Amino acid sequence: MMAMSPIDPRLQEALDGERDPGTLPLDLREAYARLMGAANLLQTLPAISVAARVMADIHDLKPERIRPARRLMRWLARPRAVTLRLRPAWTLALAAGLAAILVISTQPTNNPIPGPHQGVAHFVGRFPGARSVEVVGSFNDWSRGSLHLRDENHDGIWHGAAVLPAGPHEYMFVVDGERWVPDPLAGRYVDDGFGAGRENSLLIVRPAQASLDDDATLR
Amino acid sequence: MRLALVLMLVAAPLAAQNGGGPAGRLAGRVPPAALAAIDSLIAAAVAESLPSEPLVQKALEGSAKGVPTDRLVNGVRRSLLQLREARVIVGRAMPDQPAPEAHVAAVSAALARGLSPAIVERLLTVAPNEPPGPVLHAAADLVAHRFNPDSATDLLVEAHNKGLHGMRLLDVAVAADHELQRAGGRTHADALARVRALLPNVPTAEVPPPVTRRRTKGS
Repeated sequence: MMAMSPIDPRLQEALDGERDPGTLPLDLREAYARLMGAANLLQTLPAISVAARVMADIHDLKPERIRPARRLMRWLARPRAVTLRLRPAWTLALAAGLAAILVISTQPTNNPIPGPHQGVAHFVGRFPGARSVEVVGSFNDWSRGSLHLRDENHDGIWHGAAVLPAGPHEYMFVVDGERWVPDPLAGRYVDDGFGAGRENSLLIVRPAQASLDDDATLR
Repeated sequence: MRLALVLMLVAAPLAAQNGGGPAGRLAGRVPPAALAAIDSLIAAAVAESLPSEPLVQKALEGSAKGVPTDRLVNGVRRSLLQLREARVIVGRAMPDQPAPEAHVAAVSAALARGLSPAIVERLLTVAPNEPPGPVLHAAADLVAHRFNPDSATDLLVEAHNKGLHGMRLLDVAVAADHELQRAGGRTHADALARVRALLPNVPTAEVPPPVTRRRTKGS
């Protein structure tokens, strides 16, 4: 706040009419004259007030007929100054909320929906004492480390699922990273062709959205 | 979370199957000592307009399993011979058109599952313009469960003639197996007869639902 300089009591008395201005020292007399001049100026009204002139100009304007839609477009298009006052606590809370929404919305769903030429393959195997079980097959180019089964209850039953293209897939379980085992529940087996009498498990994935057209995927 | 990772990792090699050439997919996976021989086998398949993907898969499979080099190459060579045999069979069943690669691959897989060329050719002839995978796998399923191959083929042909196509033919094999397992000491012939009496209304196999599982720690 700006500090006001105290007025001289003699000048104040003169302004209040309690002292003859002629008795004031020269510098106060000059100040008195300036203040009185300003007071007289404020008391003098213009012949035609500014407000009256502005209103007259407004009345002279012919009202333009604007369609509501156009008015709305203008309203939407017109730039407007927006004043945003933020409290740090609320701002941080809002940012945290938005981040949570973003993370949740980008989380993969627990219910993957197979495409029109895909189906869901479930794998289950009983391997008590195993440290790891994974599925390796034609659907992942026989590469390790892409489809691990889980034994959440530590009861020796390992299970997992994957969305795969509809059709036949050969595969095997790899236990503890070194032991290749056919799926005992596969029901279909085929000689692996390497001359050691080993068999791959065979899985035929049915399209989740079954139709005659989908059968074309199973060749 | 982990399931989505699994799906992504499974999907990546599948995408690679479409994008990368055979040489690129084998490099670093197949032992260097076997690479040249396998490359030449794949080149031969391409030159003969045979599908090369089964050979690539066989090479990747054998390499992942750590099959010795000589058996690995022999396994891929055996697959090439099977593809050539398959194309001859497809050519006989579809004499008026070039053998589609998908048909050749499906027939080769059926031969690997133990179906005789005569059975395969007969099933191809019934519906030459349909994807042969389902009916061939259905026949292989029945033969694997010790049904008489000719009787099983008769049943599948009849099912096709009564309007069952594609995956529904696999349902025929499943129904025959279920009939066989019913209490009462049913013979294979009895089971086939029971299913024949049901045609075309064999039960539809249940398609696995989308994966639904509890969110667990670390998943």
